[in-house]
Amino acid sequence: MNKNFSWFNLTSITLGFAFLYIPILLLVIFSFNESKLVTVWAGFSTKWYSSLLENQALKDAAWVTIRVGLVSATVSTVLGTLAAITLVRMGRFPGRTLFSGMIFAPLVMPEVIIGLSLLLLFVAMGFDRGFWTITLAHITFTMCYAAVVVQARLQDFDKSVEEAAMDLGATPVNTFFQVTLPIIAPSVISAWLLSFTLSLDDLVISSFATGPGATTLPMKIYSQVRLGVTPEINAISTILIGIVTIGLLLAAYVTKRQTERSERERRKAFGATG
Amino acid sequence: MGVVTARDQQATNASSQRAGPRTAAPQSGFAPWKNPSLPPIVRFEGITKRFDDFVAVNDVTLDIYEKEFFALLGPSGCGKSTLLRMLAGFERPTQGKTIVAGQDISDLPPYQRPVNMMFQSYALFPHMTVEGNIGFGLRQEGMPKNLIAERVDEAMGMLELRQFAKRKPNQLSGGQQQRVALARAIAKKPRIVLLDEPLGALDKKLRQQAQFELMRIQETTGTTFIIVTHDQEEAMTVASRIAVMEKGVLVQVATPGDIYENPKTRYIAGFIGDVNIFEGTVSAIGDGCIEINAKDGYQFKTRSSEPVAVGQQVCLALRPEKIRIAHEQPASAVNAIPGKVEDIGYLGSISHYHVRTAPGERVTALRANAAHTVERPISWEDGVWLDWPVDAGVVLTG
Repeated sequence: MNKNFSWFNLTSITLGFAFLYIPILLLVIFSFNESKLVTVWAGFSTKWYSSLLENQALKDAAWVTIRVGLVSATVSTVLGTLAAITLVRMGRFPGRTLFSGMIFAPLVMPEVIIGLSLLLLFVAMGFDRGFWTITLAHITFTMCYAAVVVQARLQDFDKSVEEAAMDLGATPVNTFFQVTLPIIAPSVISAWLLSFTLSLDDLVISSFATGPGATTLPMKIYSQVRLGVTPEINAISTILIGIVTIGLLLAAYVTKRQTERSERERRKAFGATG
Repeated sequence: MGVVTARDQQATNASSQRAGPRTAAPQSGFAPWKNPSLPPIVRFEGITKRFDDFVAVNDVTLDIYEKEFFALLGPSGCGKSTLLRMLAGFERPTQGKTIVAGQDISDLPPYQRPVNMMFQSYALFPHMTVEGNIGFGLRQEGMPKNLIAERVDEAMGMLELRQFAKRKPNQLSGGQQQRVALARAIAKKPRIVLLDEPLGALDKKLRQQAQFELMRIQETTGTTFIIVTHDQEEAMTVASRIAVMEKGVLVQVATPGDIYENPKTRYIAGFIGDVNIFEGTVSAIGDGCIEINAKDGYQFKTRSSEPVAVGQQVCLALRPEKIRIAHEQPASAVNAIPGKVEDIGYLGSISHYHVRTAPGERVTALRANAAHTVERPISWEDGVWLDWPVDAGVVLTG
């Protein structure tokens, strides 16, 4: 690190991070502002956080968001894990390329397109839009992230471990629950955290899929901002940033620990055999 | 020809005692494959496995008997692992039947087959302790806990693993992991244990130890072991019989001694141990011996177990240790050729002499380095004579 240290590097990294994070930092700072005017600092206060607690509309939105997040993250983790297993373990089957393409397409598809097509589908099918349509929409676009995370881990682990389990008499179902799942558990957890986080801060797709009575927090914030930014919005945004950051950090931590462990195992195996 | 074969057999027996690669054949007298009334425990019947256009295993028919330590030997990609994996149930044969103990198991999934496998990568369960790994198969059977503990302890005792019982695989050395993998494969007391390159990841010294451990376990448990290996020394050391495979086909199935002394083809002769090959044509047949006109002008007299005809193209395969090397022309040798020492490989107990003959052929001879030799030592650029008796070589037609 120190060897390559130079003023140029330091300056560019400072500028880069400043560019990315000063707006967020400002938002966090101003959420503790005493004044009602967002741009004028009048001293430290947490009164906007306590006034949040009395804002029923915001609390409702938060509750919807959390419920959507919990349900969609859970379902998309299950589906994503199954998709990853199919891709990694089933070998070559007819239509595999198409299948993998369709699984991962939402990663690169513009959100507006996903949202619009889902809206058209829901309308065509005559679904009442609301909580469940948002949840379905979130499952659709977070599943590919879950699949990517789990697939990476599956590709990493020795298929013969599963064969060994079957060889010792475990049925495919027992093999999955006793051997495969415990081994890939960290990646399943990080897939869930990632899906939850993505669901939590989604605005575009939710806006398309929503109906009366189901407003998520990002939608609520966005609609309020159009009427003018209040410090309350700053406060709720700060909380949201906090949750998302914690979720991402947790996911990264779980993945990192898992990589370190498999790395250690590998090194140990090689070290021991010379 | 029958007479020739019998005499030849005697000769090879004698020479294998003199210079065979193994000091003593294990399980001497153990030869169930010679007993036609004994049913085999494993029978492959016309097994073929194709991956798209590639034929991995081509029409293999093979019997393996109870309590055998059977080796499938061949270079990588010869289909030996595929054959083993088909016995374990991980691959389905394109054609043919697999019969174990009289029962056709071709359609059984791996978890219903009476075989257990030890994997090349060991495939230990990383999230379970040593105990948990070894007991995994027994738990699948729904065996009572106290019985499982007993059997696990027995297996750990056999492989000296008791002090590691509570450790996870990543806290063990390579050699210890290998022993856990073996313990796990024998814990269910299967009738057949399959070993897929089980010692490939160990260094040479550890590997030799592990080979003897494998033999000890195989003998004490009385289980049939089938090992896949590309290491001919390993196969020679552990196996009661060896099947040599090349490009998906069984080339020869025989005891290690037989394979070494009577290789069926030039490929096997070269694959197992060092060998000198002289190409030539048969010029005369008579009196249990044949004469070969070698390509480079020499004439050799040798015994042949293969039926040959005058004028046929053959190879004479000669093991380096069967060739005598001396400074003076031997007085009464049947086959003797002069040459010049080009290279000497000193290996401590023995030395390899690479001799260039007058027509330019390179012949390797091997001599033990006896401590008090009165002879002048053979050194580089010395003119020497190579000679061998009629029963030293093997005539190969393939």
